[in-house]
Amino acid sequence: MKEILKLKNLKKYFPVKNSWGTDVALVKALDGVDLKIESGKTFGIVGESGCGKTTLMRTLLRLVEPTSGSVILSEEITGNNFSSNKLEELASEELRNFRKQIGVVFQDPMGALNPRMLIKDIVSEPLVIHGKTENVRSRVIDLLENVGLGEEHLYRYPHEFSGGQRQRIVIARALALDPKILVLDEPTSALDVSVQAQILNLLNDLQKKYDLTYIFISHDLSVIEYMCDRLAVMYLGRVVEEADTDELFSNPQHPYTKALLSATPSFDKNKDKIMILGDVPSPINYLDESKAKLATEITEQEKLEISAIEGKGIEYIVRSSLNEVIPLVQISDGHYARVKQ
Amino acid sequence: MLEIENLKTNFNTYDGVVKALDGVNLKIEDGEIFGLVGETGSGKSVTCYSALKLLPKAGEVVDGTIKLNGEDITNASDERLREIRGGEIGIIFQDPLSALNPVMTVNEQIGEILVLHQNAELQKLALEKEVPTFKSEKWKASPGVEFTIMAFCISFISLFVMLGQSRFSLPFIFAIMLMFLRDYLQRDNPASALDLMVIDALSRVKLPNPEQIANSYPHELSGGMQQRVMIAMALAGKAKMLIADEPTTALDVTIQAQILQLIKDIQKEENMSVLLITHDLGVVAETCEKVAVMYKGKIVEQATVDEIFSNPKNDYTKGLLEAIPKGGKERLKVPNLEETSVL
Repeated sequence: MKEILKLKNLKKYFPVKNSWGTDVALVKALDGVDLKIESGKTFGIVGESGCGKTTLMRTLLRLVEPTSGSVILSEEITGNNFSSNKLEELASEELRNFRKQIGVVFQDPMGALNPRMLIKDIVSEPLVIHGKTENVRSRVIDLLENVGLGEEHLYRYPHEFSGGQRQRIVIARALALDPKILVLDEPTSALDVSVQAQILNLLNDLQKKYDLTYIFISHDLSVIEYMCDRLAVMYLGRVVEEADTDELFSNPQHPYTKALLSATPSFDKNKDKIMILGDVPSPINYLDESKAKLATEITEQEKLEISAIEGKGIEYIVRSSLNEVIPLVQISDGHYARVKQ
Repeated sequence: MLEIENLKTNFNTYDGVVKALDGVNLKIEDGEIFGLVGETGSGKSVTCYSALKLLPKAGEVVDGTIKLNGEDITNASDERLREIRGGEIGIIFQDPLSALNPVMTVNEQIGEILVLHQNAELQKLALEKEVPTFKSEKWKASPGVEFTIMAFCISFISLFVMLGQSRFSLPFIFAIMLMFLRDYLQRDNPASALDLMVIDALSRVKLPNPEQIANSYPHELSGGMQQRVMIAMALAGKAKMLIADEPTTALDVTIQAQILQLIKDIQKEENMSVLLITHDLGVVAETCEKVAVMYKGKIVEQATVDEIFSNPKNDYTKGLLEAIPKGGKERLKVPNLEETSVL
């Protein structure tokens, strides 16, 4: 196993200010994340909205500064040319070189493409910015052909394409600088299943061709299961379970993972249902302890829903019981989960 | 319950006529959950908007009949349609935050529907419980008018004070005091019949502290709660049929499971018919009894859920099912769709 990136106790707290400008609370978007990302494999991150997936991605690219902890780069990325192998210590020139190695594909392709730019300008922009101005045209055509488009698309605008084609353009742009890592933030959630299948096949082909490392963020478990080699489940800024995909899907340990797997709509009608009661909790932690609620208290809504669900043969989990902080323990080789022993 | 026969809807655009629906036949029985699946642009939503005459100006129903409980509503008057929408058919839209009015409280929004469709019930409840039908707000104008009166009073007061004739400002000071006094006297009005019915509607969708939620604005609620409020609104008019247009697309999977369970529970309790429009075949498999697959404005296959998933007849349905990743790492099959446009 060869690591390409290592996250070490990464924390990102956003302060919440009151109208006087004093900090009253902290949003713990990332609360001590340790991950190792293997080179040439696909690493998946799942979790619901507000759990810190996107913050994790932004800290990886150093678009936001982490509060503490570090991202450790391997030699494959630094090439021994950088002054440090810690991302937060890189200066601006080195940071630019680092960002060359990471491509990003965002969720909504129309939002990621400038509607006033031609496709040739969109795809060649990273090349121009990083000073690779030779043979730009032939390079752009190469890139477009890689993703199943062609020369005839050079002089068109983003709105002239369908959703799947737009996502292909975004992928072509992300590949322009020969990155080693591709961060995919919900690349198919805006697409239909048939188009999604095309994009997933394309991503698999590209990975084989260029030996790319993918960091795949999604909430769709069937896509995650298909794409990823290893998987981390996040809940409220923490990794609650991490394992190889097959292991995680066949033997989930953390109650949240179990509920997530059972909540995914499937064709099997007789599958056992585990429901999570209540809404996604607020990630705000009040500094004043009197305002902080006990994490394991059952709320009024949960009581109500328990009474509504009882006697239906559905197992339920109380949402607030998931907020307890339990240390990560090893279940088997390479399988970690936050469960009580 | 709802019967759609040979429905054809066209959209007139500058590039020509788009045949959004090309002969759709649907029959939804009493008390069943009917799924309508298809990809973007296949005409799922247009079907339900055509049935309720909610099409935008460019769209027009060219052919076909729509029957609700045996009554032909194809050429129904606007008045009758207003009764049907909300009164007999409730609708839930995809994105709850854009479907709810951001400047009205939940109370006001659900109240509107109750006043329109449940007026008789409302009067009855008011008599029974001996409470006012609506919250009494005697001597109260709209906020804009109130503000203008206040501003006039204050400007007259300052004018007279500046002119050195303070005694003339006394009536205006008195007027302002009256306005505050009125607010003070009416500070705890008894709950009206409307309030009681709103709270009842909110507790039907299993929302906690309905009193508190009734007085909050949509942005103060989470996505799942907003969708529950939408469902409460759709049910408030005692509709016998519910059209849910992608009700869970904007929600997380765990919340999606809650909302689907809620729709199933309510359907069973009230013996309603539900038309569930979605692009997620998994959602259909879990909730529906019958399903129709749409493609390019036509229904290509219609069967019970078990049949369609175990033994799909149509090539397009087969393709759709194969395109979904289902464990395993083998290459996904991409359905071979003709690239022709609907134009």
